[in-house]
Amino acid sequence: MAFTIKRKRAKKRDIGKDAAPFNKGVKADSDAILSPSLDDTVSGIKQALGDNDDLIMKYFKVFGQYEAAIMYFSNLVNQDSINHDILKPLMYVPDHLKDRNRSLDQITDMIIKETIYHSQAKLEWNMEKLIEYILCGETLLIIDGIKEAIRIGTRNVEKRAISQPETEQIILGPREGFIENIQTNLALLRYRLPTPDFQVRTMKIGRLTKSTVAYCYLKGIASETVIQEVEKRLSEIDIDAIMDVGYLEQFIEDNPFSPFPQIQSTERPDKTVANLAEGRVAIFVDGSPFALLVPVVFNQFYQTAEDYSSRFLMGSFVRLARMLALVFSLVFPALYVSFISFNPELLPTEFAIAVAGGRAGVPYPAVVEVLIIEVAMEVLREATVRLPKQVGGALSIVGVLVVGQAAVEAGLASPITVVAIALTTIGSFATPAYSAAFALRMLRFPIMILAGIFGLYGVVIGIIFIFNHMLSLKSFGVPYMAPVSPENYQGLKDVIFRAPLWSMPKRPAFLNPANRSRLSKDINRSEFGNE
Amino acid sequence: MDTRHITTTQAAAILISTIIGVGVLPLPLFAVQAGGTGAPLVTFLGMVLGAIGLFILTFLGIRHPQKTIITYSEDIIGKWFGRFCSLFVILFFFILTGLAAREFGEVVVAGVLQETPLEVTVIVMLLLACISCRNNINVFSYIHSFYLPMILAPVLIVVALSLKNANLLYLRPIIGTNLPHMFLGTLTISALFQGSFIVTMIIPSMKNPKKAIKASLWGISISGGLYLLLVIATVSVFGTEEMKQIFWPTLELARTTAVPGNVLQRLDVIFLAVWVTAVFTTLFSSYYFTIHSIKQLLNLPDQRMLSCFIFPFIFISAMLPQNLLQMYEFIKFVGRVGLLITIVYPGLLLTIDFFKNRGLKGSASQQT
Repeated sequence: MAFTIKRKRAKKRDIGKDAAPFNKGVKADSDAILSPSLDDTVSGIKQALGDNDDLIMKYFKVFGQYEAAIMYFSNLVNQDSINHDILKPLMYVPDHLKDRNRSLDQITDMIIKETIYHSQAKLEWNMEKLIEYILCGETLLIIDGIKEAIRIGTRNVEKRAISQPETEQIILGPREGFIENIQTNLALLRYRLPTPDFQVRTMKIGRLTKSTVAYCYLKGIASETVIQEVEKRLSEIDIDAIMDVGYLEQFIEDNPFSPFPQIQSTERPDKTVANLAEGRVAIFVDGSPFALLVPVVFNQFYQTAEDYSSRFLMGSFVRLARMLALVFSLVFPALYVSFISFNPELLPTEFAIAVAGGRAGVPYPAVVEVLIIEVAMEVLREATVRLPKQVGGALSIVGVLVVGQAAVEAGLASPITVVAIALTTIGSFATPAYSAAFALRMLRFPIMILAGIFGLYGVVIGIIFIFNHMLSLKSFGVPYMAPVSPENYQGLKDVIFRAPLWSMPKRPAFLNPANRSRLSKDINRSEFGNE
Repeated sequence: MDTRHITTTQAAAILISTIIGVGVLPLPLFAVQAGGTGAPLVTFLGMVLGAIGLFILTFLGIRHPQKTIITYSEDIIGKWFGRFCSLFVILFFFILTGLAAREFGEVVVAGVLQETPLEVTVIVMLLLACISCRNNINVFSYIHSFYLPMILAPVLIVVALSLKNANLLYLRPIIGTNLPHMFLGTLTISALFQGSFIVTMIIPSMKNPKKAIKASLWGISISGGLYLLLVIATVSVFGTEEMKQIFWPTLELARTTAVPGNVLQRLDVIFLAVWVTAVFTTLFSSYYFTIHSIKQLLNLPDQRMLSCFIFPFIFISAMLPQNLLQMYEFIKFVGRVGLLITIVYPGLLLTIDFFKNRGLKGSASQQT
């Protein structure tokens, strides 16, 4: 399954070894235990963290008896909560503890269980871990004479509100999208899946960023081998920083040299839940508003969540249009080139004459003309993505109308070429998954060149090449072109058309789900009218 | 190793797409040359002969579900003699690969790319097969079943659209006139079914080798049915005398048909373009069979390097015939000789295997 990855992984391990000494400065010794002396501990932590003005440290006396200190990073915590829920009960002895014996050996237990108004308070003795916790926004409470520190989960980081997903717009269906905060994202899933089968596993990846990576699945539905493979591939990643799930994707995908995405990323909680329910595994990284879904098959990339929430005729029709756009974005310019320069006799005579008339002033062969316009289109497209919103609209008007018109009048391109390329570009926007659209956008160029050399013959050779490559791809052990080939009749109901939900009683078999039945029983729809 | 992934449907698809290849283009001509108006009958007889060979191989495969003809021939007729015979099998498919690439190259150069050198089209086609051969046998089966609709559809569409020009009188008399000539023609046509030899390679990877019979039955009847349909359509549209003047009647049939609505003026170029897939799958199969067999004969661990290694040799063998006419003479000759390898040799193996087993059983029962 992971042949291509092995080499890469071996390399990664070497990098890990080289980079290890770099950590020494940041971390304390991994086995260091806290000393009972408050001053030693505080100076140890300060030494490890260096000079940071946002590190707050306050000495005080617990219950007026024992020397203690709390430490936290002021920007990562909720200071109100620290003042009211932690400091106040510690400094001002609570009523129920007033008459009790508050000896040093009982004090930690007493603080955690009876004093602090906070549910996340734990003991920790390892210096290295304490430093990690404080860096993540927890508050440390260190008491003189005790070998352990109390850590309290006071992390409070600013996050943006849940908003509509930007990249996956739909007309019908839920409006929520994931945000950067992983806790919120998992909450969005939990809210849709109130079942004990929904499992979340977390790990930390990234030596500097220590990003929380979570992968979740539905127990009893997702295939065990896929879960283990995800776990294995994730745990072998050793990198300094992770900014986005895209980093992970590049480490865990099956074939890094393929133009086709082998992992799907989505911003939509509803889509993620639907995929979990089909037996897939979702991967999140703290700081990224995208979830990765594995394993994937190619047909997922032109499906949207809306296909399922709208009625099946509508869903099927829209999906058909989208597939057409997909094919268009790949082969349309190539077909145009081969028709014009190799087989104009295929076109109806009137149209062929019109095309020839349009091309009369254009000095170079069709393939060069199309390549020039395509490149111009790619530049325009990239420019519109990067420009500020206010300028973007102006540019697209200038680009499309003025430049296009001028190019035709100047004899740089024929009007029909411009139409063909425009159709192609619009077609490539109809593919819902950006990464898959990008793959086809890239592959358009070699096919165009093949068309310029061999005509239709070259186009077909190019397409066979691409299909053969796709048929040989696998995503976490699942053949990429399933359920078309290897064929699966239940799965085929959801490829070109979207069969009615009640007629798909089984989960897709190519994902090897542990439990295949989706509907509890076959619904007899003819009974509905007979009441 | 869990390599048993190929389903019965996939096995049938492999057979169909392997059998249907570039041979479809001159097929009606061969049939008419041999039998005149009896062309459909000749085709049918050729199909029956091809089916006999296929079923012999399938039975052999079911008797030895872990092995291909390269490995079980060693068990049946002895290690060295078996290897000696396997050498001929490999050589035959080696030449077949080259000829298929050459034949299609000729068609492309004559039909669409008049100014492109023949060598280039042949190399491109072979390169496509060569690179695809680096995959394992599961991907091999995925590729075949994926392209199946694209192989069946163009022929069916062309046949359906040409029916309005058909004249049933051209088909009579059904029996034909020249019987000994027809016999030779039957051999030529059945040589077009030689791709079915691939069944020996896929049985060891089938989920359920017992169902290979079903796959063979479907494979031969769909591909044979398509051949028959095509011969009937071309003969009924052109008539036997006109057909003898046409080199690739199938292509001509596509040329005379027009899509309703005047969307495209001519269909033959589109037909040829889509037909690249059918040729590719055939070429892919024989290429794959060649390197897979060499791998088994020499006990090599991997076939990936082999695929590139034999590429230049196949190309040279493809370029051996001097011209189109010589090539078709050569193809007919190789096809008929090949029947010795694809039907007679497996037949002998099956007989020997059968008697050997009975002998063993007999001696075993005597001992007990």
